[in-house]
Amino acid sequence: MLVTVECCGAASRVAGATSLQVTLPPTASVHDLFALLSARSPEFAELLPRCACARGDAIVPRSTVLADGDELALLPPVAGG
Amino acid sequence: MSDFPRIQSAPLSLDALLSGSERDDCGALAIFAGTVRDHHEGRAVHSLNYSAYVRVAEKLIRDIEMEIAARFKVPLCRVVHRVGGLSIGETAILAIARGAHRAETFAAMQALVEAVKHRVPIWKEEFYADGSSAFVNGCTLVAPEDLPPAESRLHCTPVQAIESIGI
Repeated sequence: MLVTVECCGAASRVAGATSLQVTLPPTASVHDLFALLSARSPEFAELLPRCACARGDAIVPRSTVLADGDELALLPPVAGG
Repeated sequence: MSDFPRIQSAPLSLDALLSGSERDDCGALAIFAGTVRDHHEGRAVHSLNYSAYVRVAEKLIRDIEMEIAARFKVPLCRVVHRVGGLSIGETAILAIARGAHRAETFAAMQALVEAVKHRVPIWKEEFYADGSSAFVNGCTLVAPEDLPPAESRLHCTPVQAIESIGI
């Protein structure tokens, strides 16, 4: 299946892009997505443990099973205000 | 007025935020403005860029407004946050709270701003005088059960933040 991952904040710098298309096996979870992205670079592997994952307008746990066409976002540690 | 966008790319307006907020049962109005300062941890800051994951940020700010209003028993809380490039001195966040008395209204304002800073997906990239830039390291939104033990100390909740300043 194919999912779209929006890279927010520092994740965009680590990914070198604001959006990624990622191919995952069927029934893959957020945890599986993070494992795949962590293998891309040491910088990703360092950042991802502190990133939340959003699907739509909700932050979802690592155990969430993904579906083809999901629109996800990587949310690194926040610093508003 | 409750449906105005909480994340805005245009300069923030206090008049717009206050519009329609007047209440006869409130004797206190607290206003907070966060502005861009020219330094951070010893480095000269030239400008900032704020970005947000708007779909979640809009929902969370509305949730926080209602949560804080209920917790502190104040009838009205509103917050707007700016995104995009900001110069030194520009307003990044505006918040208002109206309550019957000043004590709970001040407390609500403190908690409101802390919650938005620590729980809403907004990021601050600082641009320094030497031409470099960096994202400010903040609070993780990862659920505690998904955080590795070594990372748990980095998880900053609004409650912890409020306790750290003695409220």
